[in-house]
Amino acid sequence: MNHERELLKGSTDLLLLRLISFQSMYGYQIIKELGRRSNGYFRFKEGTLYPALHRLERNGLIEGKWIKLPGGLERRYYFITQKGNKVMAERLSVWQNFSTAVDLIMQPSSG
Amino acid sequence: MSFKSDYLNKLKESLRVDPAIKRDIVREYHAHLEDRYQDLRESGLSEEEADKAAAKLLGSPRFIAKQIGEVYSQGTWQQAIFAALPHLLVALLFALHWWKNTAWVPAVILVVIGIVIYGWSHGKPTWLFPWLGYCLTPVIAIGTLLIYLPGSWAWLAAIAYIPLTMTIILSITKQTIKIDWLFASLMLLPVPIVLGWRLALGIEDITQWQARLYEAGQLIALTFATLALTAASFIRLRQRWAKAGALVAPEILLLIIVALADKNATSFWIWLFIILLAVVLLLGPATLEKKIRQGHTKPAKF
Repeated sequence: MNHERELLKGSTDLLLLRLISFQSMYGYQIIKELGRRSNGYFRFKEGTLYPALHRLERNGLIEGKWIKLPGGLERRYYFITQKGNKVMAERLSVWQNFSTAVDLIMQPSSG
Repeated sequence: MSFKSDYLNKLKESLRVDPAIKRDIVREYHAHLEDRYQDLRESGLSEEEADKAAAKLLGSPRFIAKQIGEVYSQGTWQQAIFAALPHLLVALLFALHWWKNTAWVPAVILVVIGIVIYGWSHGKPTWLFPWLGYCLTPVIAIGTLLIYLPGSWAWLAAIAYIPLTMTIILSITKQTIKIDWLFASLMLLPVPIVLGWRLALGIEDITQWQARLYEAGQLIALTFATLALTAASFIRLRQRWAKAGALVAPEILLLIIVALADKNATSFWIWLFIILLAVVLLLGPATLEKKIRQGHTKPAKF
C-alpha cells in the first residue's frame, strides 16, 4: 500500500498536467475524472488535490481562473500554460520510456 | 453550525498565507464541499449524513492548511525586493545624509504611507508588513521625543499622545497577528533598531545630536541595509522556524553593533533590556496568535 502511495506521489504532477491538457477543469471535476478514467484506481485524498494544483500554478505550469457556470455558480478552472505543456511533454516521454523498460524486464525471457 | 461551515472555519483559521490567497482557497474548498454534498445527497444520503461525509472526505483542515502554507511560504524575488525596499530607503536617507534635507524625510514618509494604504486595500500581501513597520516607527519616535518637552507639556504629551499611539500600534499589531504572527514580527523588526539608535545618539542637545547623527550616518545606513537583507531572506525562506530565526539573529547582532557604537554611555542593563525587548517583540506574537485568533474567529466568507 505504501509503495502504491509512493508511486502515485511521484506521478501526481504528470497525471494532473495530462488531464488538464485535455480540457480545463476545476478541482472536484478533476477528482471525478481521475476516478472515472482509471476505473476507480486513482482515489485522491480529496483535500490534498488543491495543494498539488496550487503548487503547479505557483510554478507556472497551470493557471487558475474563476468562471461562472450557466447556473450562476462559480468554479476555479485550471488551464495548462505553455510552460506546463512543455514540462508535461518531457515528463510523459520519461514516463513512457520508464514504463516500456519495466514492461520489457517484467516479461518472461524468450531466450 | 454545519460540518461544512465548521470545516471551512477551521481551514481559514489554520491557513497562513496572504489574505487574498486565503480568500480564494477557502472559496475553492467551499465550492468543492458543495459539489461533493450534492453528489452525496443524490446518492441517497440524508442532509446531515451528506454534510458530515463531505467534510470528512476532504481530510484534516490543519494538514491541508500546512500543505498549502508550504506551497506559498516562499515568496518570489520580486516580493523579496519589495519587502526590502523600505529598509533600503531608510538606509539611503542616512548613507547620503538626505535626512538633513527637509524635503526628503516628509517625501519618504508620504511614499511609505501611500504604499501602506495601497497594500492594505489590496489584500495585505506579505511585502506590505515592512512598510507598515515604518509607518509605526515615526509614531514611536515622536512619542519618545515628546517626553523631553519642557515642563507640563511633557505630561500632557504622556497623557494624550502615548496611550493614543499605543492603542493604534496594538490594534494594528493584533490585526497583523491574526493573519500570521510572523508578519507581525516582520513589521516590528525596525522598532528596536530605531529605539537603539535613539539611545545610542542621545537627544539632550539638538546640535550635538545632529553632529552624532552625521558621524554615525554610514553605520546607521549599514544597519538598515542589513534589515533589508533580513526582510528579503524572510520572504525567500520556506520553513517557518527559519523565517523566525532569520529575523531574530540579525536583529540581536545589529543591536549589539548599535550598543558598541553608543556615544551616550548608556548602561549595559538598558542595552540588555532593549535586546530582550527585541526578542519579545519578534517572538511574542507567536504566543499571542492562538489567543487572538480564538477571540476573533469570524465565520468564513465565500
